[in-house]
Amino acid sequence: MIIRELQRLHRARGFVPRAELSTVAARLGVPLYRVHEVVSFFPQFRATPPPEVDVRVCRDMTCRLRGGGELLDACQALAAVRPPEQLAVEGVSCLGRCDRAPAMAVQVHRPGREGQTLRYTRCTPTQGRELLERLTAGSVPPSDHDADHHDGRAWEIDIYGGKPDYAAARQLAARVSAGGAQAAAACRQVIERLRVAGLLGMGGAGGRTHKKWNDVYMAAGDEKYIVCCGDESEPGTFKDREILLRTPHLVLEGMLVAGLLLQARRGYVYIRHEYSEQIARMRAAIAEAEAQGVLAFPVEVFVSPGGYICGEQTAMIQVLEDKRAEPRNRPPELQTNGLWDKPTLVNNVETFAWVPSLLLARDMASLRFFAVSGDVEVPGVYEVPSGITLGALIARAGGMRGGRAFKAVAPSGPSGGFLPRWLEGPDGPFDVLDWRLEVQGARELGLMLGGSIVVFSEDADLKDQALGALEFFRNESCGKCVPCRIGTQKLVEIATRIRDGAIAVDAVYGADAPVGRTLGELATAMKDTSICGLGTVAANPMRTLLRHFRADVERHAARG
Amino acid sequence: MSTDPLDGDLAFAHDDEALFARDVDGQLIRVVSATQQDYDSAVTLTIDGDEITVMKAVPSTDAQGNIVNDEHGHTVPRRTTIYDAVTTLFNRRRGSAGRRHPVPTLCHREHMQPVGVCRVCVVALGRRTDAGQRTEERLVPACVHPVEPGMVVHTMASPEPAMRERVEGSVRVVVELMAADHLPEKPTLAPSDELTALAARLGVDAARFRLEAREAPAADRSSHLIDVDRARCILCDRCSRACNDVRSNFVIGRAGKGYEAKIAFDLDVDLGASTCVSCGECMISCPTEALVFRRPVESRWRQERLEIAEQHYEVSAEDLQRHPLFEDMPLRFLQWNVGAVVGWHVKRGQALCRQGETGGTAFILLRGRFGFWKRPGGQGGLLSWIRPPGRGASSGTLAGPPDGELTPDDLIVGEMTCMNNQPRAATVAALEDGEVWIVRRNLLYVVQRDRHARERLDRIYRERALENHLRDVSFFADLDESERAACRKFLADRVELVRVDPGQVIFNQGERADAFYMIRHGHVKTTQAINGQQRVLSYMRPNTYFGEIGLVSREVIDSSIPPSRWDRRTATCTALDHVELVRVRRDDFRELLRMFPALLKTFVSIAQRRLTADYGWSPNVNGMLAEFLDQGLYNGEKLLVLDMEACTRCDLCVKACGDSHGGVSRLVRDGPRFDRYLIAGACRSCTDPYCLVGCPVDAIHREGSLETVIEDHCIGCGQCARNCPYNAIHMVSVGTGVAAQRLAVSCDLCRDVVRHPGSDEVRCVYSCPHHAAFRISGDELWQRLAGAKG
Repeated sequence: MIIRELQRLHRARGFVPRAELSTVAARLGVPLYRVHEVVSFFPQFRATPPPEVDVRVCRDMTCRLRGGGELLDACQALAAVRPPEQLAVEGVSCLGRCDRAPAMAVQVHRPGREGQTLRYTRCTPTQGRELLERLTAGSVPPSDHDADHHDGRAWEIDIYGGKPDYAAARQLAARVSAGGAQAAAACRQVIERLRVAGLLGMGGAGGRTHKKWNDVYMAAGDEKYIVCCGDESEPGTFKDREILLRTPHLVLEGMLVAGLLLQARRGYVYIRHEYSEQIARMRAAIAEAEAQGVLAFPVEVFVSPGGYICGEQTAMIQVLEDKRAEPRNRPPELQTNGLWDKPTLVNNVETFAWVPSLLLARDMASLRFFAVSGDVEVPGVYEVPSGITLGALIARAGGMRGGRAFKAVAPSGPSGGFLPRWLEGPDGPFDVLDWRLEVQGARELGLMLGGSIVVFSEDADLKDQALGALEFFRNESCGKCVPCRIGTQKLVEIATRIRDGAIAVDAVYGADAPVGRTLGELATAMKDTSICGLGTVAANPMRTLLRHFRADVERHAARG
Repeated sequence: MSTDPLDGDLAFAHDDEALFARDVDGQLIRVVSATQQDYDSAVTLTIDGDEITVMKAVPSTDAQGNIVNDEHGHTVPRRTTIYDAVTTLFNRRRGSAGRRHPVPTLCHREHMQPVGVCRVCVVALGRRTDAGQRTEERLVPACVHPVEPGMVVHTMASPEPAMRERVEGSVRVVVELMAADHLPEKPTLAPSDELTALAARLGVDAARFRLEAREAPAADRSSHLIDVDRARCILCDRCSRACNDVRSNFVIGRAGKGYEAKIAFDLDVDLGASTCVSCGECMISCPTEALVFRRPVESRWRQERLEIAEQHYEVSAEDLQRHPLFEDMPLRFLQWNVGAVVGWHVKRGQALCRQGETGGTAFILLRGRFGFWKRPGGQGGLLSWIRPPGRGASSGTLAGPPDGELTPDDLIVGEMTCMNNQPRAATVAALEDGEVWIVRRNLLYVVQRDRHARERLDRIYRERALENHLRDVSFFADLDESERAACRKFLADRVELVRVDPGQVIFNQGERADAFYMIRHGHVKTTQAINGQQRVLSYMRPNTYFGEIGLVSREVIDSSIPPSRWDRRTATCTALDHVELVRVRRDDFRELLRMFPALLKTFVSIAQRRLTADYGWSPNVNGMLAEFLDQGLYNGEKLLVLDMEACTRCDLCVKACGDSHGGVSRLVRDGPRFDRYLIAGACRSCTDPYCLVGCPVDAIHREGSLETVIEDHCIGCGQCARNCPYNAIHMVSVGTGVAAQRLAVSCDLCRDVVRHPGSDEVRCVYSCPHHAAFRISGDELWQRLAGAKG
């Protein structure tokens, strides 16, 4: 209950007063250090009274590409001449509104408007400055809402057309309640159905869903949990945001099916706190399911106190246990030793959302969602056939912005690094625009494929993008293991020097180049020794920058 | 581009699952719920080309290596890790020149739960497929990764160069990263800094990662005991586990996130302002110079020896660590506790220790021959509590030839009294000029956190304990000397030493009787269900025995044991405190009785007597006995008892105590009532002194006689006060403000107080004008009451 107590305090006061921490510890019967460990870890909690207008400007990836840096500078210039108790402006990690970049979040702390969160998007530096002037003058320009940006297209995933009757969950519930062999057969059939349909995990790992379900199903013990990961904090990624907003009932039904199958005690939908509309929609969906009598076990929304690392599944479980979001060493796996050390099924929002249609309507998991942003005409979330080529996906998103030339793509936020137009494949060079976007093929090519596609045009400065990506990993590292905690910082320091031209090209490229060797060894050590995926992939932006975009590196170095 | 170091594969995140997550049959391995069956399940793996077989699980232990039991009294299996297996292999060959543990660790110590955060213990792990093919190796942290059959492990000492280089390459980078941020550019040789040592071992020069200068966090010098330098902290989590898990003080945690993460005390306050009790456990656990002691702990004991006797000399921490017993001990602990060791050139004929004395020292034998003498009835010192002339309540003698000889090959002597808090079992003296190190009990306490040293000490202890016990068994009384020798010989290989925790059931009524027990230390409660009610029948003291009824029930003529109940336990026996038992299995016991019919007669008559005696109690007395045991009174050798029918509450006892102890009374005229008596809050001089366990600086001890003394070098951590179940130790403040330090004080039986002429009584008793106060053992108190009521 530590995190929820702190959230309650934070909501009431706009910050967590230090004096209250001892009270919380005493009330919950935990040592002081336990409370401090948590309150000092999560970005949601601030320790000092907030200014009247508290501004956070996203500086990651798409926002960085679309002028987030300049917006941040302009806003901070204004803050510099205002009293600190009136206005504060800081950079913030990806807010998940990459389709409307650049984005900023504003909290207004004024009598009657305690802790109200507003959001503004697509601001130029001038517009941003004007916005803050109005906010500090006392007016509140209307906030941007996710719900206002519906593209009007219907999704095939939503077999109910927005009016759920939870048919899949009802059918399974009926068969399970019969008990005995019939119930077991029904459960087996669900798992088999997912196997045949080939549903993969949509959180990035692309594991086989039926295998995970089966592992938890087979795990010993009668206390099991279902957790839906809606943390989605990777730059460029916002597909779960739309799914939670538009079809929360599908996510919930997927969880209900899993929970009926596993006889789960409780389900949690873990949603990042920046997704306030989605949190409300999901809560409404849960209430409606309860009203319809299909909520076979309690399901609740757990509002994340923040941080990309919370999306690492073992770290997320730690947070649910009121701890710092520090990933666990594996094995054991969550399927056997998850929440409270009990068997736990963790799936992504999209993975759960596909379950009802696969049980009721579709044979194959042949569709999937991509969040497309960056230098495209119509950024957004697209439901497309799995295996669509990158070129076709960009065309779906209206093509390149202003007809500019394609330069690079980040196919998994910053984690997979940056890929150029031409890649070396097993059969020689191939055009990345012809790359068929599906997990197995990506693996064979040695590439990562997530749920987000960030497209860069010829104008993009990939040195700066690489530095931004490395800073993101540094900022979001939990600090538990040494290679990631210190390694991500060293990568930022080296990348800054490369961007600023402080390191000669000769020192980077070539067999005996000292910086190149250092980076290679550091990247290998981080990949080999980090506890979780964050540290494992953190050097990828640097690796791909140096490998594929030597011209970007050299252009600046020559000038510097 | 192929020579370009950046040309490696792209790293992948979010692997489906960890290597070896699945069993051979494809099932996920549920690691945490290792089962009791895993104790017997052997796992064979290959480490650097050597095959080794280890058990899949071992019982969980606490920091001192004591096996932990769950609420049902069962052991808790813990999966064996790769690091455990490497260590087992290493220990087998320990001592061969130049060998060192091939897996370095910074965040892991054997006595802690592994957390796997520093990553310097990584090893390359692969497996051979059924077809004999090698799978691709992955690096895994050895300290947390459980063993599985068929694993092929490569450490930095692997015979395969490619594997060796891969492991060492990654470890080097990780050490470089830590060194760049947390070591000064020119590290001074600080042998207690494990990071410096590891950097030196790997020849690491971290210059290439010393890029942006970091603003050094301000040093925290607010504690009277420990200085904190966060610039040196590598966040290994050892201090947190030391504080929270080992000592249960719950002060230290991690604060902040990522590169800015740090250790913090309570709500991130200065150490001196926190709830830290200054036990020093975090500091002796720190592998770097982030937590260091302000000044070493000197003791009056060592000073006296160094000043008075010219035969004594100082022993440095480094010298101590070179001894095989102490080689894995944290050097910082040894440096801190300078007062806990002294060297001694002992002359022929000088006694190291005397039988019957209490004591807190052991002797590391370095040179010479030593004899030991054991007098029957070994526990004389315990009862001769009255302050003896001079120091020491010795009953030891050097008369006659020694009962045995010891040499440096025997490593140590005198360790038993440190490990079980009981009086010395023998007198030991030098047979020729020799050399020993006298070490105090806190050294032996901490050394046992290392498995290798613990197993070594335990082996010595068990051998000696069993041998001692069989020398003087009371039921041998009916045998002649030659029969006794034969008996001892028969039992020597057939007995085992069993340790039982307070509250743990030894056997239950109705169970099959499978063994006979002799109590070496501690107390055992006997309860019986009579007409559906649990009744306390009796309690048994050290040097008694139990469990014979169920083993001779066929021979006992008693109508209360129908044939259906033959060979069954007639009562439940439960440990009251820390009990050490000598166990004889049923078959061996029966064989002994067959060989010596006189013993059968002895046991049958004892069993018969017990069976009838037990029924003699009334429910009233049973209840009183239960209360007597609940209050722990059996444990007291010197209870301060006030007869409330005579006491006028005049408080003169308290005043007398304060007057003779610098104004601070050591007794509280309050405590549990037992019948018409009040057991006052003053040291009870327990047979099993809980207070002595775990004092970090050995400030509390018994020296020579029964009273507990707290020396001036007490660091005020309060461990003894928390240990004492009877609230007889109080923490008092000395000094004021931030510099205020706490000290533990307790009744010392007026050890250093001049007595009133013509009286040996302690002040509290002497000063009572109503003769209401007296000192009495728990046993005597019970006899007095049971005699009156029974």
